[in-house]
Amino acid sequence: MNTRLHTWTWVAWLIVTLIALSATRNLFYLTLILFCLLVNYFILEASFQKGAYPLSLLRFGLMICGFSTVFNLLTSHNGATVIFSLPQAWPLIGGSYTLEAAVYGLTNGLVLFGILLVFTIFSQVLPVRRLIRLVPRVFFPVAVVTSIAVTFVPTTIRQFHQIKEAQLIRGQRLKSLGDWLPLIVPLLVGGLERALQLSEAMTSRGFASSSPAPGKQSSRLVMVSGLLLVTAGWILGSWSGKESLGLGLIFSGLLLLLGALWWMGRQIPHTNYTREVWQAGDGIVLLGSGVLVFVLLSSFAGLTILGSLYYSAYPVLQWPDFDPWIGSALLALCFPAYIMSLGKK
Amino acid sequence: MISLRDVTFTYPGAARPALKSVNLEIASGCFGLVTGPSGSGKSTLLRCLNGLVPHFSGGILSGSICVAGLNPVQASPQIMSRQVGFVFQDPETQFVVDRVEDEVVFAMENLAFPPQEIQARLDNALDLAGLNALRNRRLETLSGGERQRVALAAVLALKPGLLVLDEPTSQLDPEAAEGILQTLVRLNKNLGLTILLAEHRLERVLPFVNSLIYLNTDESGLIVGEPRQVLSHIDVASPVIALAKQLAWRPLPLTVQEAKPFAASMHLPVPEPVEVEHQEQPGEIALQIADIHVSYESYPALKGVSLTVHAGEILALMGSNGAGKTTLLRSLVGLVRVNEGSIQLFGQPTQNMDPANLSELIGYLPQDPNSLLFAETVQEELLFTLHARQPHSRPMKKVRAVELESEAVAQSTQMLVQMGLADLAAAYPRDLSVGQRERVALAPIMVARPRILLLDEPTRGLDTAAKDQLAQILRTWRDEGHTIILVTHDVELVARLVDRVAILEAGSLVAAGNPAEVLSTSPVFKPQMLQLFPEAGCLTPQEIVDRLNPPG
Amino acid sequence: MKNRWLSPIIYLICSLVGVVSLLYPFVLPQFNATGQPGQQRSADMPLMLTLLLGLALLVLVYEVQGQAMSTKIIALLGVLVAINAALRFFDVAIPIPGGFSPIFFLIILTGYVYGARFGFLMGVMTLVVSAILTGGVGPWLPSQMFTAGWVGMSAALLRPSMRNLSLEGRSGEVWILAGFSAVWGILFGIIMNLWTWPFIAGPADQYWSQGIGMLETFQRYATYYLATSLVWDIARAAGNFLLIFGFGVPALRALRRFQRRFTFTYSQPPAPVVPENLPG
Repeated sequence: MNTRLHTWTWVAWLIVTLIALSATRNLFYLTLILFCLLVNYFILEASFQKGAYPLSLLRFGLMICGFSTVFNLLTSHNGATVIFSLPQAWPLIGGSYTLEAAVYGLTNGLVLFGILLVFTIFSQVLPVRRLIRLVPRVFFPVAVVTSIAVTFVPTTIRQFHQIKEAQLIRGQRLKSLGDWLPLIVPLLVGGLERALQLSEAMTSRGFASSSPAPGKQSSRLVMVSGLLLVTAGWILGSWSGKESLGLGLIFSGLLLLLGALWWMGRQIPHTNYTREVWQAGDGIVLLGSGVLVFVLLSSFAGLTILGSLYYSAYPVLQWPDFDPWIGSALLALCFPAYIMSLGKK
Repeated sequence: MISLRDVTFTYPGAARPALKSVNLEIASGCFGLVTGPSGSGKSTLLRCLNGLVPHFSGGILSGSICVAGLNPVQASPQIMSRQVGFVFQDPETQFVVDRVEDEVVFAMENLAFPPQEIQARLDNALDLAGLNALRNRRLETLSGGERQRVALAAVLALKPGLLVLDEPTSQLDPEAAEGILQTLVRLNKNLGLTILLAEHRLERVLPFVNSLIYLNTDESGLIVGEPRQVLSHIDVASPVIALAKQLAWRPLPLTVQEAKPFAASMHLPVPEPVEVEHQEQPGEIALQIADIHVSYESYPALKGVSLTVHAGEILALMGSNGAGKTTLLRSLVGLVRVNEGSIQLFGQPTQNMDPANLSELIGYLPQDPNSLLFAETVQEELLFTLHARQPHSRPMKKVRAVELESEAVAQSTQMLVQMGLADLAAAYPRDLSVGQRERVALAPIMVARPRILLLDEPTRGLDTAAKDQLAQILRTWRDEGHTIILVTHDVELVARLVDRVAILEAGSLVAAGNPAEVLSTSPVFKPQMLQLFPEAGCLTPQEIVDRLNPPG
Repeated sequence: MKNRWLSPIIYLICSLVGVVSLLYPFVLPQFNATGQPGQQRSADMPLMLTLLLGLALLVLVYEVQGQAMSTKIIALLGVLVAINAALRFFDVAIPIPGGFSPIFFLIILTGYVYGARFGFLMGVMTLVVSAILTGGVGPWLPSQMFTAGWVGMSAALLRPSMRNLSLEGRSGEVWILAGFSAVWGILFGIIMNLWTWPFIAGPADQYWSQGIGMLETFQRYATYYLATSLVWDIARAAGNFLLIFGFGVPALRALRRFQRRFTFTYSQPPAPVVPENLPG
């Protein structure tokens, strides 16, 4: 397994997939994206790091799609192609049942399933340690808490089994809720004791006792105003229709907020010993993702050679368009599976 | 290197100071051993050296401390971490990251060392701690001894001049402990690191240390000096030293090796063929194990073990790590499924008893007594057991009602008195010392009067006094007719306590019988007296002295 | 002075932004009814709002961590979060119904005993760690984290009134906490559904054409909620109630017992009183 993708390559792939998923409701494109994700899922399944889902993911996806189709059919009575009708007077379920509503529900389900899939792949394929390293430096204390928790989970589980056995042999029977008390209290108290010992060990190894002050007032203010700008931009953009003003506010807010976080992160002295290496595979995936983003943006911008991404089941159901350029660009989402399967051979 | 002047420290809310007017000078390059009964302030003293006391603990400190030219009180533990490496007792609770390399690197990353330097220091530290082969392992897959090495490597990476270790081996088995101690000796000899080590197992460390610091619980304060000198003033010691002191051997030998010439020069009277001691008839058969096999998945843990234990007998189960001792205990109480063979308790096969029913016959004290303790007071722990035994009852609900039943209270009080815990009946179990906790965990098991008692490593982490107390209690129970089986590595405890020894190796029973016979043939588990006088068949110094001056 | 007010204000702002971004499906139809039908807007709205929620969370977590993180607290949080994350791996002998989750027990009790910041971080970190360990990282995480954080934070709000009623250490305390946890059991489900709902019953462009009002949106949501999760949420509420009712007293006692040890600080004595080596 010498071929593996860089963590940031995975992040880029994740973001691009999310952009694609939210850019269109065109059934053809959605199906294509889902196909790519499923290819990734099944090829990468062997290298998944954590336990498999109790419920098979496919079955879960079918459930989501089925549910959202039926739910939308039952509750949204818009659309022209009426399948059947119930008297309007009936609360909630009264009204006409339309094909459009069903198709719209199905699209919703597909999008949700796609999001679920992409994140499952992302968080399964990256080891816990690499996920923790993604936490920005400014959240260093939080990253340490995460790391400690991950380290102590196996210990806690072992501890729990020990306690359970010890109490069992002492004659403790687990019949009612109250019988769990002798298990829970030692677990909790043991945890508190271990926490004290651990913090002692950390302190004596030079772990700074507090994060660098509560932060400068100014930088905190900058962050909050960034947040408010983004909110305002979003409200303006979707309410008053001033899309460009809204977008401008959102971007400047983002810049302020993330910039402040980055700047404060730099104040925390810290080095990273483990460095990941970039490989040719990363280049391929990144290139594919770049092309896809370019194509999607061009289509957004209304570039005429490309078809529109827009599709809606309402008001009358129609076949969606299919543009081969967009379609083939979407196939770039398969690249991680391709690269990783190369590495295995 | 270290200089303490008139240091007095009181923990917040404590009535008495934990350290009182302590004066101590330790030179650079010294290997010092800190010892003394539990509660004498060993840990507190060590924590003064890197500022954990008082920065971490709070409390009131007076006097002056100087370590490596710094005052830890002013410098704070963060600064001191560059000068003082500290390794703690529990191999489970010192880690932040879950992989060996990452853990060693953690502190250096926080101190923002440049990556190349981290690399160099990491390699060096892993090398010194003997961890090279394990550098990519996950911590949860490591043994206790290996984890302590990781803790050691993590502090060595900061290149401290002083290494302080607070009972680092008390939770380890002898082999792992020996390995750690050897590493320390090497660090002291080759790198000239100053080392201060708190440790109960004097016999293993004494040959290497050049300074002994003895802390007392009473007002007499601490005694510091060359080991031989200090040892002649204090009571606590290994069997060889105890014997040497009784026989007035000078200069005081610290090890079996050093004592050999003295032993060779003296004539130990050959025992008259003892009038065959009324061949004490063995009691009723308490436990009969017939050819049991146990395997975990495909790995065979027990390969046909047969053993008979009589009522009113103390049996020690010994063997190296992974020999199957704990598996054997666990199969006796029904925690492990026996694949083949049978186990009978007082003639009843255990196969179809569930653990809860078995617990009426067998009491079991697991290695970590903390997993048993949950109640608010010591007495409540006992009442809880008494009540859990009564059929058709809801334990916690009725504990209050039981309190009114004078019988249960009387029963539990009597048990507490017997175990020397009467004063602690109202104490919170988890606030007690290790030795007291061990007894508090034992009391609720014994209060149900099981006919057989199983103990897994009961003396782990106990000081001499606590061991003596425990041994005395076990003897009393044996004399009352209880059967006791203990798994232990503690050879000297076995030498003075048990009636019979069984040795397991790789899942099979290799020897069983009278301790003197079994232990004298064992290469590993040989008490010091048998090493010193291989022919005599004496297990304790007292036996040797009695042999020299027959009583009466 | 000003600094004393800054923190609460930041908490408030972030929480408000969080609330707005969770409640947007109810407000959005109003917006769109008066404005343009967003031609290109389709599925990006929920993700956009998740982003906003995530940003609010970042600011809030930064604010809280800056106030609360001593080494002791970091270690304590880490270990308690580990217990919470491990709870879901235990094989449990008692059959446990649907939506029950044992994590709220510690989130509420630590928030109540150790304060709002600790409770908030406990909630947030518990979800982060479980997600990382089980491979459940996803856009649902910010809203889960936010809500669990609120659970812990709000538990601390009970403290003053408990103190005023002098209920601390009395049986009334556990009754109130148990009731509180049951309410959050339901509320948590309601808020979680707000996140999935737009995906499944996407409001974005179904409404503008008809100008569906807020009332109907509520009705639709109520239907959705009843259909998908009421049963689960009742199980969760009941589980929370039973856990706190059954184990609250000893757990509170244990947490309080350690509270002092975790807050010990050493302050340098005012002046070195001992005149050392002075020529006498």
